[in-house]
Amino acid sequence: MTDTVTFKIKRQDSKSSSSYWETFTIPYVPNSNVISCLMDIQANPINAKGEEVTPVVWESNCLEEVCGTCTMVINGKVRQSCSALVDQLEKPIKLEPMSKFPLVRDLVVDRTRMFSALKKVQAWVNADGYHDLGPGGRLSQEHQETAYKLSECMTCGCCVEACPQYSSGNNFLGAAAISQSRLFNMHPTAKNMAGERLDTLMQEGGIADCGNAQNCVEACPKSIPLTESIAEMGRQVSDKLWHNIFKA
Amino acid sequence: MDSHFLARRIHSLTGIVPVGLFLVYHLYLQLYLHSGAEVYNKVINGFYDSPLAIWALVIVVYIPLFFHAFFGIRLIFESSVQPSYTYFSHLLFWLQRISGIGVLLFIIAHVWNAQLGPWIAGTWGTHFEHLSSGFSDPDSGMITKAVYLLGTLGAVFHFSNGLNTFCMTWGIALTPKSQIRVRIFSIFLFFILAASALYALSAIW
Repeated sequence: MTDTVTFKIKRQDSKSSSSYWETFTIPYVPNSNVISCLMDIQANPINAKGEEVTPVVWESNCLEEVCGTCTMVINGKVRQSCSALVDQLEKPIKLEPMSKFPLVRDLVVDRTRMFSALKKVQAWVNADGYHDLGPGGRLSQEHQETAYKLSECMTCGCCVEACPQYSSGNNFLGAAAISQSRLFNMHPTAKNMAGERLDTLMQEGGIADCGNAQNCVEACPKSIPLTESIAEMGRQVSDKLWHNIFKA
Repeated sequence: MDSHFLARRIHSLTGIVPVGLFLVYHLYLQLYLHSGAEVYNKVINGFYDSPLAIWALVIVVYIPLFFHAFFGIRLIFESSVQPSYTYFSHLLFWLQRISGIGVLLFIIAHVWNAQLGPWIAGTWGTHFEHLSSGFSDPDSGMITKAVYLLGTLGAVFHFSNGLNTFCMTWGIALTPKSQIRVRIFSIFLFFILAASALYALSAIW
């Protein structure tokens, strides 16, 4: 008898239908990850009862934990499924879609809210034309190291999935967008819009909705210092509050 | 800047100034329980002798406390339970909310027991005798003691942990290292205030 791996997958056929758990048992392959196992299930979609079912739907792209697309809840914790190695996971392996986003189908969710949050905080370098602006100013090594770490964010959704303050009932921007507003507020050109970013953070759903549970920094697969970013933006909005009261 | 942001910041601030500072002052005054009935009553009545005492209490304590408490209760309902993420900070996050409700109930009982009750009954002024007889009552003494023990420890925890999150919210403790320093300080503060509160209570236990 060959070794097998059992998956318990939380499935849902459409946005409006109800969810159900389905078990799949597939042959064990050394060094496999959750995505390669999902591919095996897709190739041979027969559940543990021996019934042929519709293949499980999931999203993935880069397969090297830099795109964030394949994020799902594996054995109760949110992470990327491409870097979830079967050998290191407790069996049976439980797969669920992220709970904080509108569900599309099976393991696929719609993360539009995260990208809307990036738009709200203007997470980009603003340019007012196509003309040559010349070389930028020299940045210190320290600045580069801080900014590089923040730029590793792939908007995967782990931080907000683990956050007790982020829910479908509110419009909290979440740790990722707050951290990106820090990244662009320290950029020599993008910081021209720093005030507008702070205005967004000082509105409903902004930084004040953070409850300091600090799950975000624990859940972040790229080890981005999210609580440092939240504290730094907390300081910037404190300055802005002081300015609004005494200097404006 | 909208009213929600301002309310959250005022909620954060009132927890430390003035309510938190009042808690420290209040715990300090209770150490006089060890000086006996005469001195304790003199100290407490001395505070109330001031013509501003009642105004100071209302403006410095009751109004900020009511705002902090009722806005805080509203905040609890904004949070969703995430049981699979068992991190220490996450545990503190929920303890802060649970202790907040507990401390609010304790404060209501405490104000009734130590302030409004004696006022209405006309036994105002003999604070020491009132507290110690409540603690040694054969029927309700054990319950009163348990409520005071849990309530004071809850208040001390809520303040110490609140100071820690205050430093993050306002951007005082920026880096992970400084956040650990502030956390260690808040743990020390918890033990010092808890020891002070327990020592004060031991005088009439």
